[in-house]
Amino acid sequence: MTRRRALLAAAGFGLCLLVPLFQGDYHVHVMFHVALFAALGLAWNLVGGFAGQLSLGHAAFFGIGAYALPLYHDKLGIPLPLTLVLLIVTAVAAAAVIGRVAFRLRGPYFALATIAFAEVLRLSAKNLDNLTGGDVGLQVPALFGPTAPIQAFYISAVLLTAAAFTTTALIVRSRFGYQLQAVREDEDTARACGIDAARVKLHAFMISAAFTAVGGALYMSQIASVVPDSAFAIDLSERPAIDAMLGGAGTLSGPIVGAILIETAQELFKNWFHEAFQLIYGVLFVLVVLFLPEGIVGTIARWRRKQRAS
Amino acid sequence: MATQFWRALQAVLDGLLTGSLYSLIGMGMALIFGVMRIVNFAHGAFMMIGMYVTYLLFDQLGVTPYVGFLAAAAVLFVLGAATYHGLLRRIAERSEFMTILLTLGIAQMMIGVAQLAFSGDFRKANSALTTRLLHVGPHLTLNHGDLLSFAISVALATGMFLFVMKSRFGRALRAIAQNRYAASLIGINVQRTQAVAFGLGIAAVGLAGGLLLPALYLYPEVGAGYNLRSFVMVVLGGMGSIEGAAIAGLVLGVVENLTSLYWGNQWAAIVDFVIFLLVLSLKPAGLFGSQRV
Repeated sequence: MTRRRALLAAAGFGLCLLVPLFQGDYHVHVMFHVALFAALGLAWNLVGGFAGQLSLGHAAFFGIGAYALPLYHDKLGIPLPLTLVLLIVTAVAAAAVIGRVAFRLRGPYFALATIAFAEVLRLSAKNLDNLTGGDVGLQVPALFGPTAPIQAFYISAVLLTAAAFTTTALIVRSRFGYQLQAVREDEDTARACGIDAARVKLHAFMISAAFTAVGGALYMSQIASVVPDSAFAIDLSERPAIDAMLGGAGTLSGPIVGAILIETAQELFKNWFHEAFQLIYGVLFVLVVLFLPEGIVGTIARWRRKQRAS
Repeated sequence: MATQFWRALQAVLDGLLTGSLYSLIGMGMALIFGVMRIVNFAHGAFMMIGMYVTYLLFDQLGVTPYVGFLAAAAVLFVLGAATYHGLLRRIAERSEFMTILLTLGIAQMMIGVAQLAFSGDFRKANSALTTRLLHVGPHLTLNHGDLLSFAISVALATGMFLFVMKSRFGRALRAIAQNRYAASLIGINVQRTQAVAFGLGIAAVGLAGGLLLPALYLYPEVGAGYNLRSFVMVVLGGMGSIEGAAIAGLVLGVVENLTSLYWGNQWAAIVDFVIFLLVLSLKPAGLFGSQRV
């Protein structure tokens, strides 16, 4: 990334932090969702976009983050800052275990295995009443005090997105990032060149899990309670993937563009079309796959490359 | 001790009855995913459409689900073939990643349509047959409805197996699975064969949906649990093996029922996924297949 672009990105995130000064609670709430899903999309993009491994089980890490917060803080009495550290450690450890099994598989089998892991966690959370409260769920501690306004959550979500963006930007131009992309393009050739494919994929998965878990904790802390069907919902695995895809999987800013478009569109459609929104959402989805397979950012980038060449 | 034995045997029998319907779902997916390698995440949504078609016939015309499922199969065959022809064919050359996203979108669309047409209400089609019980000896009871759907699904599964293994169409389909290009060279119409096969796979899950109607509550997202389950059957049975998926369906039915007997209902679904992960990591060729994953 050039210096000019880095400055531009920093200015963009800075402006986002100022928004709550001018907007009411409802708009800030919608934008909290946008920022949160942008962060989740960026995290997913490391594995799904740059490493080319279609994970559809990121809800596992989202849910681990959401449950770790009440479990460590309320049940074990660990102070909040330490809880956040432990939460990340837990998610990374889970990613190491899941990745070790799932990365033995390729293509659709990898995707299926990740879904299966997320489902096992969801159903376990439903059944382990003593630990998770079963379907009744748990109260999630307020990260920013009991009366924290939505603005506090919004600003943390923007900071999380900025952190995920910076991490991705640093990785993409690093040795590790090139190794990831080599694995995506052709795993066998990458291994023949001496890249430890299993290791780089696993590391990307673990970094991705860390951001996703923090996102889960933030999201559920705002809602103040967590149940298995909301924390480990399949939808939470699919949405970051779809956001990243629409914006452009394997591009730096794609997930942010996708999250802005999809999350605001969903909010608008819900208000405009009520019950029909799911159908419209599905149609949009199909159209994107058919006509914009590289996503918005990816298509623009290709178009500009073509222009420069001619 | 003796009652324990009878309860276990009852669970196995019930499992076989449910499992026969899983077999149909699994065979449909075996055709689509196992043979054609199309990663179909809309399988459960198609099943849901089959259930609504059967439900409409029952609700409006009083047709029993044990006849109505035939209409569901016909509707879904057309819908499946059209979906392949209109959408999936266009991205056949792209990565599996795209197929997964496209079928997720198609599922979302169908659920959206059902939501608009029928709202989210829970519906039920009661059949007199499910309340009539057959007592086998002093300890075992089976209901007529389940027995009838078992008989129907065994007949259909056998017919489907024979059709794929013996007919000209089936040979053409398996030739495409082995080598697409060579198949087209010897005069097989690849696109049409695949469209028919996709329609057939979807019709199978529609049949199962119709036959499951008396046993389940119906709502737009009812198919959600059957997507992953159908992949489990294909992988357990072995990629590309139609009969393997059918047997895997029976196995899942029995395992689920035994799990709910000994550990409680809520653990039954987990067992499916645990089996799935074990098979994928220990014996990726499945129990009956020869191809490597």
